[in-house]
Amino acid sequence: MDLLAQGIVTGVLIGGLYALMSLGVSLSWGALKIINLAHFSFILLSAYLVYQLTITFGLDPLLMTLAVVPLFFIFGVLMQMFFHWAKVDEFKSLIVTFGIFIILQSLTQTFWSADFRRIGSELNRYEGNSLFIGDIALPIPSLLAFIAALGIAVTMSFVLSRTYFGKAVRAVAQDAEMARAYGVDPNRVAVLLSGLSGAFSAMAGVFIALGQAIYPGLAVSWFGVVFSVVILGGLGNTVGALTAGVIVGVAAGAAAVIWGPLAAPLVTFIILIAALLFRPQGLLTSRSVA
Amino acid sequence: MISRARVLLGFLAVAVVLFFVPGIQETLELPRFYVIFLFTSFFWVAQASSWNVLTGFSGYFSFGQGAWYGIGVYTVAILTGKHGWSFMTALPMAGLAALLGGLAVGFVAFRVRRLSGEIFALTTLAIAFVLASLARITTAIDGGTGIFMTGTPIPEWLGEYNTAMYRMMLVAMLLTVFTAYLVHDSRLGWGLFSIRDDEPVAGGLGVPVFRYKMTALGINAFFAGLVGGVWALQLGFVTIDDVFNIRVPLFVILMSVLGGLTHWMGPVVGAVIIYTFSDRLNSAGLTDVNQMIVGTLLVVLALAVREGIYIRMRERWITTLVTFGVAMAVSSIFDLAGSLVTDFAFALLATILMMMVPDSVWRRIRRRGGSEPPEASPKMDQLAGAES
Repeated sequence: MDLLAQGIVTGVLIGGLYALMSLGVSLSWGALKIINLAHFSFILLSAYLVYQLTITFGLDPLLMTLAVVPLFFIFGVLMQMFFHWAKVDEFKSLIVTFGIFIILQSLTQTFWSADFRRIGSELNRYEGNSLFIGDIALPIPSLLAFIAALGIAVTMSFVLSRTYFGKAVRAVAQDAEMARAYGVDPNRVAVLLSGLSGAFSAMAGVFIALGQAIYPGLAVSWFGVVFSVVILGGLGNTVGALTAGVIVGVAAGAAAVIWGPLAAPLVTFIILIAALLFRPQGLLTSRSVA
Repeated sequence: MISRARVLLGFLAVAVVLFFVPGIQETLELPRFYVIFLFTSFFWVAQASSWNVLTGFSGYFSFGQGAWYGIGVYTVAILTGKHGWSFMTALPMAGLAALLGGLAVGFVAFRVRRLSGEIFALTTLAIAFVLASLARITTAIDGGTGIFMTGTPIPEWLGEYNTAMYRMMLVAMLLTVFTAYLVHDSRLGWGLFSIRDDEPVAGGLGVPVFRYKMTALGINAFFAGLVGGVWALQLGFVTIDDVFNIRVPLFVILMSVLGGLTHWMGPVVGAVIIYTFSDRLNSAGLTDVNQMIVGTLLVVLALAVREGIYIRMRERWITTLVTFGVAMAVSSIFDLAGSLVTDFAFALLATILMMMVPDSVWRRIRRRGGSEPPEASPKMDQLAGAES
């Protein structure tokens, strides 16, 4: 029973990481109508950068957040400016971001090879350490990721529902032309949102570098999880993404305890199918942007 | 408009010529590599054509090619390698298994009302990975150990190994392309085009939207699995990581986008071009750069060549033939490259560069030359209208 409780707690925390990875995809799909497959290689690239900077300078890996988050914000902004310049529509966004995904994947593989990379324990004091509540361990990297996801999801939800920028985002998501008529510049909103989504991918990358070994094949393995979370949570719904992340994390964690770790992707996929069949609009749709 | 008889004759001519290539290669004592090169290009032509029946015609973007292909490979590998079936009985099963897999995905994704295109794309993106993990945990499929294929005998009446493989792939490829042609010129094809242009309107006007989409997906998955089944024979050792990876969907998308999604010949042309270049890059030892070039090409082509290169080749068919012929002749007569395949790659490159000249520049050149622009055929108008 303890094992199962531990599995559920681990699942909740992993769910935070899933949500962190999904937030950017959810926002750009919901508000900008762009399915950003490059997001996955952004996360991976950020994880590799954190790894590289940490072992080069010998500093605390969490400090690298200060470096990668602004960098990927700029990447996000540049990408959106390119999309605007090239007039990328919804259908083309799939092909173009897939192309960018492939380019970044092979760049990563060329620089860091296909081997497993891991920040050594002398530099990474987070991995392997846990906070204990009774008998149940809370692994520090997952705990930090969960706190970050919670913070970002709640803040973004507040921003989207209460601030002028949030209103502008929702207006653009509903009808970009009408928003323009009322004085909102859809392009500026899109650029800012894409930058934010890039910054979120960088955050996710930090916690992935912190908590596990990284290799180029990871990015592909995230597709199923992230899209289940995005669809289950509702497009553009940040709190929904967190809830969905926890659900998927718990289900996958429980499956890993019961049937072994390889069963986790199957359970994720079954959740995705169930979500598509019964609630394609997402769990908490009333608060979604789109 | 090209009549059906002429297309049929063309198919027959191509089939007969290609059928005797292995014999010609042996009598002229050309390198065996040419046959293998053709064999692999047939594989890609068939994969791209089958993908295009769904995505090019109906507009539903699919990343599922790797999954259907993988189901085909694994069906043949399991049935022949583990249960001792003969190859000829296992091969149709490969197509059928992929067909079932495809229909199952379509049944879920096509019933979603909002965003069904996006959701279909993402479900197909995830499915290959899920199948891979299913294969990994199920020992009846793979169990993570891989399957040896070397013991599988091929029917003797097909000739010796290389020739037999070549002819089977040729037949599978011709079947796929011919099916794509039949769909393109049929009621089903027009229905699929109308779905691509505006699905709610098509549905309202009486196009059986769900049934047509399922049919297109079924054709795609069936042929992808069938061709994958033939391909499995020459793999020798089938492993999960080699089969369920992103390579097949990536190349198939790239080939079709380059060749053009609207016409059944587009993927054929695109597949030949991309495979030739990719093969030359690999043999030049540029395997690492290969993927990067492919990704860059995908971005550039998706944004620059909107209608695909085949439509342009048809519009400028004289230029195409002359450029290709001259480049091929120059390269092979002066022996610039040393291998016929490299000559072919040079000729293709020259042709593509000619096709890349933008339409506006092209018209100005023609006008100065004083020649009349060719009269657009009704088919071309329909295609141009259907593009948007």
